[in-house]
Amino acid sequence: MFQILTYSFRHCLYYIIGELRKEMPATLNEFFAIIRYKELLRNLVARDIKVRYKRSILGFLWVMLNPLLMMLILSMIFSEVFRITTRNYTTYLLSGIILWNFFSQSTSTSLVSLLSNSNLIKKIFIPKAIFPLSVILSASINFFFSLIPLFIIMYFTGTFPGYSLFLLPVIIILVGLFSFGISLALSTLAVFFHDTIYIYEVLLIAWMYTTPIFYPEAIVPQKFHFVLDINPFYYFLTLFRGALYLDISLMYRELLYGFLFSVGALAAGWFFYNRYKDRVVYYL
Amino acid sequence: MDPSIKIKGVSVRYRLAKEKPKTLQEYIINRLKGRKMDYQDFWALRDIDIEVCRGETLGIIGHNGAGKSTLLKVVAGVLKPTDGTVLVNGKIAPLIELGAGFDMELTGVENIYLNASILGLSRKEIKSRFDKIVEFSELREFIYSPLKSYSSGMVARLGFSIATEVNPDILIVDEILAVGDEQFKKKCNQRMLGFKEKGTTMFLVSHTMADIKKFSDKVLWLDHGQIHACGNDVDALAEEYTRGKSST
Repeated sequence: MFQILTYSFRHCLYYIIGELRKEMPATLNEFFAIIRYKELLRNLVARDIKVRYKRSILGFLWVMLNPLLMMLILSMIFSEVFRITTRNYTTYLLSGIILWNFFSQSTSTSLVSLLSNSNLIKKIFIPKAIFPLSVILSASINFFFSLIPLFIIMYFTGTFPGYSLFLLPVIIILVGLFSFGISLALSTLAVFFHDTIYIYEVLLIAWMYTTPIFYPEAIVPQKFHFVLDINPFYYFLTLFRGALYLDISLMYRELLYGFLFSVGALAAGWFFYNRYKDRVVYYL
Repeated sequence: MDPSIKIKGVSVRYRLAKEKPKTLQEYIINRLKGRKMDYQDFWALRDIDIEVCRGETLGIIGHNGAGKSTLLKVVAGVLKPTDGTVLVNGKIAPLIELGAGFDMELTGVENIYLNASILGLSRKEIKSRFDKIVEFSELREFIYSPLKSYSSGMVARLGFSIATEVNPDILIVDEILAVGDEQFKKKCNQRMLGFKEKGTTMFLVSHTMADIKKFSDKVLWLDHGQIHACGNDVDALAEEYTRGKSST
């Protein structure tokens, strides 16, 4: 199983590298255009965060309060009702949920980002990738703030981070790049086929339940373990939890696959976006 | 004079599918059946050749659907033409639909930064122009209020102030020569004339022949995506266009 996978993965990679080389000049231009428009990127991210909390009395405090309350409710329900006895279950559950929320929310929001900014894209030249990118960045900022209540809960439940914690930013960047790659492809595809929005919605639910977010990994029967092996998010999740409160130095395999999935998704998404970006305007 | 914009053999084709597969399902079924998509090509622009020199103003006239807006989009880099090339020398700013990028929840200040960065300005450039933008818009006392509390005239004023303070080499104007009350309209007109004096190249689409006559050095008359006439005799072409319109 694994051999077939790595084999096909390698071929995919070769194909992508070949295609990228062909389209390199145009692709590089797009990259530099995004850098030129960094002030726009900054303003889009700032707007996203400002607008979300502007009208509430507690304002920006909600960024932390909201995940804290959500975590308290979830940990009560799952640890009392399901009575799953895994060590550090509260941290296990909460870390899974916030990482999943980061991924699912950022990708499903950026999925419609080209469609919802069509009035701008049709009138002014803007490197279009800036819209999904800004969604990922503002979601990352929110994610960083939800780490603070997580650490508070970890402290009170007696789970303490080890020395692997310094790798946490690396893991988060890997997940961010993975999300960005997927968002680039999906937001472009959604312009041509609106069905993408609904298909992805369903796909996310299936994806969530096949990833050990709520349940311990050990309850997955051996014959279904391949579902985890081909699931990129499984590797990210294992790494994230490892960096938070376990020992990551034993996770070579997870690190390698996490890295490959991340770079692969980014390359594929970038290539797909660049290939169709000029046609997007005709369909918006 | 060196050309500011050189448009060579530009054509733009819109594909209007006769039976447009609107969903992925239909698309896949069509593909599986081996059915070729039945397209109807619509050429919004066909073989447009034109050169505009630095400091010149090109007035573009034509009936609805003649391809005026499509040409502006091609020049602005929004649409990549199906055929042909567009060479641009300098920074372009579009004055198309003022305030398209405004967010009504944000304040005037925040919107100035947002909108100016949409036009491609850096933070430093925006900072140095900020006071001039506010002053021209005459909105200093409201600048910290959210845009949703502005009247539509105020929003348009802010949009015009930002777009024209960009100081582009090439300005693209789509029928928005004047916004707000009489006094502000006068200011707008003055500013447009100021651009001409400064040597800004302009693309101007308008149905108002008085504006075309006032600003243009050259007129491009489009008809069904093709050049019907093009020349420096602005008054004569504008007259002819008006006569043609009244006779039909």
